[in-house]
Amino acid sequence: MILYDYVLSASCYKVRLMAALLGQPLTLRAVNFHPAREHKSPAMLTLNPNGTLPVLQDGDAILTESVDILRYLTADVPAWRGEDDRWLALAADLNNSLGMARLHDILQFDVDIDAARAAGVKQLRKLEAHLTDQRFDGRIFLAGDRPTIADIACFPNTALAPDGGVSLDTYPSIRLWMRAIRSLPGFIEMPGIHRLHELEVAQ
Amino acid sequence: MSQSINDYWYPVGLLSGIDASRGTLLLGVDITVGRTGGAFWVKDAAGNALPTVKRFGHLWTCPGTPSGDLFTIPEADTPGRQLVDVGSVRVKCSPLRAVENFLNIAHFPFVHTDILGAEPHTEVERYNVDIREEVNEVWATKVKFFQPQAAKSAEGGITTEYMYRVASPTCAVLYKTCPPRPGEWDVITLFVQPLNEEWCEVWPWMALYDDDSTMAEMVSFQQLIFMQDRSILENQIPTKLPLDPGMEAPTQADLTSVAYRRWLKKIGYFYGAQLVAA
Amino acid sequence: MGVGIDGGFMDWVAVGLCADVPVRTVVPRRVMNTGLAIWCSTAGVFHAWGDRCPHRGMRLSHGFVRGETLSCIYHGWTYDRDGACVSIPAHPDLVPPKSICAAHYDCKVEGETIWVALQLTQAPVPDLGARRAIRSLDVALSAETVAAKLDQPLTSVITIGGLHDIALAIQPGTDTDCLLHAFAAPDQDRKAVSQALEYLRNELEAAE
Repeated sequence: MILYDYVLSASCYKVRLMAALLGQPLTLRAVNFHPAREHKSPAMLTLNPNGTLPVLQDGDAILTESVDILRYLTADVPAWRGEDDRWLALAADLNNSLGMARLHDILQFDVDIDAARAAGVKQLRKLEAHLTDQRFDGRIFLAGDRPTIADIACFPNTALAPDGGVSLDTYPSIRLWMRAIRSLPGFIEMPGIHRLHELEVAQ
Repeated sequence: MSQSINDYWYPVGLLSGIDASRGTLLLGVDITVGRTGGAFWVKDAAGNALPTVKRFGHLWTCPGTPSGDLFTIPEADTPGRQLVDVGSVRVKCSPLRAVENFLNIAHFPFVHTDILGAEPHTEVERYNVDIREEVNEVWATKVKFFQPQAAKSAEGGITTEYMYRVASPTCAVLYKTCPPRPGEWDVITLFVQPLNEEWCEVWPWMALYDDDSTMAEMVSFQQLIFMQDRSILENQIPTKLPLDPGMEAPTQADLTSVAYRRWLKKIGYFYGAQLVAA
Repeated sequence: MGVGIDGGFMDWVAVGLCADVPVRTVVPRRVMNTGLAIWCSTAGVFHAWGDRCPHRGMRLSHGFVRGETLSCIYHGWTYDRDGACVSIPAHPDLVPPKSICAAHYDCKVEGETIWVALQLTQAPVPDLGARRAIRSLDVALSAETVAAKLDQPLTSVITIGGLHDIALAIQPGTDTDCLLHAFAAPDQDRKAVSQALEYLRNELEAAE
C-alpha cells in the first residue's frame, strides 16, 4: 500500500496513525504540498483529479478521502468499526474549522479565521460534553468501550487545535481522551502532537 | 556600534514562490512583495521601492539603508549540492526566540525524539563559542551530539558534529556532519522575517549533499523538525527574549544562546527583546 | 489576603476536579492571569506550580511526570516535589544549584477538588456540603460577570440550588473567561446535571 503523504497534513496523519495502530505497513511517498504545491502537479492530478491529499494506492484501488481510507484499512477488523457516522461527520466539521484555522495560522491559507475558531470552539464543547458523558459510564473513547475509527478521525484536528490559535487548556475530558489515544500500542506522533515522555523511563 | 534595526537585510519571499504581488509585514510595517515579468520588487506602504537582493533562493529587502552586503555562505555555491526551498511557516513568537531555539541542541532528545536525539544520550559536551568582531557574527564550533537519525541521508545513529553561526540578528546558519560525504558540511539555515515583535515568518533553506532523497523528502524532513519546535516557541514566557540575566537560568550547554543574547545587547538590536526582567 | 476580586476575596480557588487530573498528568490553569501547572505525581500527590520553567520560560504544563517529579518538555529539566530542580539532562553529573526552582503554591485536595491558594492563608477550604463533583465548564465571560448574572456576590463557591442542588466553584481566569467546577446532590443523575449546566452556560453567554 502506498500513501501519497504530506508530513504536516492532519488528514494524512489519520491514515498514518490508523495504519500504525493496526500494524499495517505503509509505503510513504512524500509530496511537496508546501511550498511547491506538488499535489496539483500533472502527475498527482492524474492519480487524483481532486488535487488533494491523502491518496492511498493499493494495487489498482485508489482512495482519496481520509474517511474512506480509514474504512478501507479496517474492513477486516470489525473491532475498530462502530456507530461511526455521527463522529465521522464531526471529524469533517473539525477539519473545516480547527483544521482550516491551523492552515491559516501556519501556511497563510485564506480563511475567515474568527469564524473558523468560533466554530471550532462550539465543536470542542460538543465533544467535551459527549466525552464527559462517556466517562460517567466508565468509558474513555467516543463510541463504546474501545477505540474506533471515530476516534482516529476526530483526534488529529482536535489535538492540533492550538496550532490554529484555539486552546485545549479547559477541556478535561478531551485531554484525557487524547491521552488515551496517545497511550495506545503502536501510536505514532506528528509535529504538534507529542508522544508521551512519561511512558519512557529516564536513564 | 549600534545600527538601526531597519538597516539589516531581511528575507521576505521565496523566489520560486513569488508571482503577482503579496502584502506582508516587516518590523511591524506593511510592505508589498512581487514580481513583474522577470524582476522582483519590494515596496513600502507609500509605494516606494526598497532595495532588494536575490540570494539563497530567497528575496531579501532592507527597509532602511543597508549597512553592507548580505552575508555569504560559500558552501552554498559549491556544485553537487541540493538547494532546498523548505517553504515558510508563521509562528507566534519573537523572531529572536525562533533564532535562539535554532542554536540549541539540548532540546533534541525531548523535542525531536528519536530523530535528532534520544534519552539517555542527553549530555551536551563543552564546545567553543565566540563573538567574531571582524564580521560581527556569533559562532559556535566543536559542537557534537549523538543522533539516531541525523539527516534524511543518514543510515542509523551517528555522532554529529555541528557549527553554528549567527550571521545577522534574525538569521542563523548551521553546519552539520554530512553522512554521504565525511569531511564536508551540510548547510541548514533559518532566515527569520520579523512580522512584528511577537510574530515571525520563518524561511528555512538548505544546501545538502544527498543524491538519494527526493526533494519532497528533504523538504518534509526539515518541515517536520521545524514544526516540532513551533509548539515550544509559541509557549515560552515571556514572549519577548529577555536580554538581561536573572530572568532565565542558563547552563554550559547554553553558551551559544548566552553569547547571542549578549551580542544582541551589544549591537543594540532589541526588536523582539525585553531588557528589564519581568 | 487571598486573590483580590471586586467585591470579595478568594483565599482558596478551585482549579480542577481530582478525576480530571489522574496520576502522572499535568494540566494548565489560569487563575487571575497567573499561569499554573497543576500536576499529580505517581503516588497521587497534587501540586500547583507557576507555569514557567526557570530555564528558558517554557510552560511546565506541557511537561511530563515521572515518579514524584515534573519535567519540562523543552530540555527535560526535572523538578521534585518542592519545586527544586534535581536534574539537568544536558549535564547528567551536575548537581543543579538550589536557586533553580519552580514557583509553587499551596495546594489542597478536598471534596474531590483541587484547591490552590495564590497567597498564604489560614482560611479553611470552602465547604461544598454533601455534594459530589460533576464536571468543569469553560465560560467565555469573566468571573465577575458570571456572578453578576447569577445575582450573587463573587466568592469561591456560588450556590445555584434548584432541582440538582448545584454549587459552582468559580475559577477566575482572565477578563474574558473563567472556569466553573460544578457539584450537585449525590443522588442526581450526572448526565442530567451536565445537560443542565450546558443550558446554564448558554444562558449566561447569551447576548443581552
